Amino acid sequence: MTKEELKSYLESNYPELTYSESGKYDLLFIVEAQKLVKTCEKLRDDVKLQFNYLGNISGVDTTENYLTVYQIASISNKLRLDIKVILPHDNPSINSVQSVWPAANWYEREIWELYGIEIHNHDNLTRFLLPDDWDQGHPMRKDWDAPDFIRFPQK
Amino acid sequence: MGLIKKLPVFAEKVPGGGIVTTSIEQVLNFAQAKSLWYLLFGTACCAIELMCTGASRYDFDRLGMIFRASPRQSDLIIVAGTITKKMAPRLRTLYDQMAEPRYVIAMGGCTIKGGPFYYDSYSVEKGIEHIIPVDIYIPGCPPRPESLLEGCLNLSKQIQKRKLGDWQEK
Repeated sequence: MTKEELKSYLESNYPELTYSESGKYDLLFIVEAQKLVKTCEKLRDDVKLQFNYLGNISGVDTTENYLTVYQIASISNKLRLDIKVILPHDNPSINSVQSVWPAANWYEREIWELYGIEIHNHDNLTRFLLPDDWDQGHPMRKDWDAPDFIRFPQK
Repeated sequence: MGLIKKLPVFAEKVPGGGIVTTSIEQVLNFAQAKSLWYLLFGTACCAIELMCTGASRYDFDRLGMIFRASPRQSDLIIVAGTITKKMAPRLRTLYDQMAEPRYVIAMGGCTIKGGPFYYDSYSVEKGIEHIIPVDIYIPGCPPRPESLLEGCLNLSKQIQKRKLGDWQEK
């Protein structure tokens, strides 16, 4: 299945996925936060696709929204796909995809810790990379600040 | 006689051998300055230069410097690499475990002032002087082995000037 075939297949069979411009990179689709886990399960169990590998989950702070981007791949069908979820800037929260791909466990802990995005139905949401006694909030947020944090001087 | 020429001693020749008299201070300082065993502590790219300095081309061993994997056997800790806030308590523990007198060399920009992680970093400690007292600073990113050798020789000179019982926790 080529990239164009995958795009037309997803557009005709997955109404919950919205195509987003992605240039020369992997196909990028947007999904609503409530439908994320169902859609991921469907993508994994679809015989024609078999997205059985979760490569990465990224968190993004655009100052207006928080995004989580799921980079998934199918090893058996040699396919790659990105799924983006747009979350509100106030109290962002999302369901865990750990039930679909167990590899999501650590990525989601990291996102929870560094961006402050609440993860529901996660079985081990504990401190991951930051020091154990960290009490200064979520450092990857754009509006984050701390007493010894020195911002690069803007011209 | 090479050793005797270096020490400020009074050597008297007697039949069948010789007697050397010197002060304890001189002997202790000489012994420690010429056998600085350093603790292996490399956390980033400076450790590559540290390894290179220990290898055959630059050869730390000719200064009597041998790496030790235990802080109990070390006189010196060469902090080679970025120290994060999570690593800082571990560095302090290793320093506390070393036997006195103990010395610290801060190698590279990261250990001096955070280096390239000075701006926009939430995780990097901006200078190890907030954690442990430093004797020698070696700038560079990373410093070449020649710089490290010169730093070690300077420390060696400092130790040879030391008075007995002079060393104290800074």
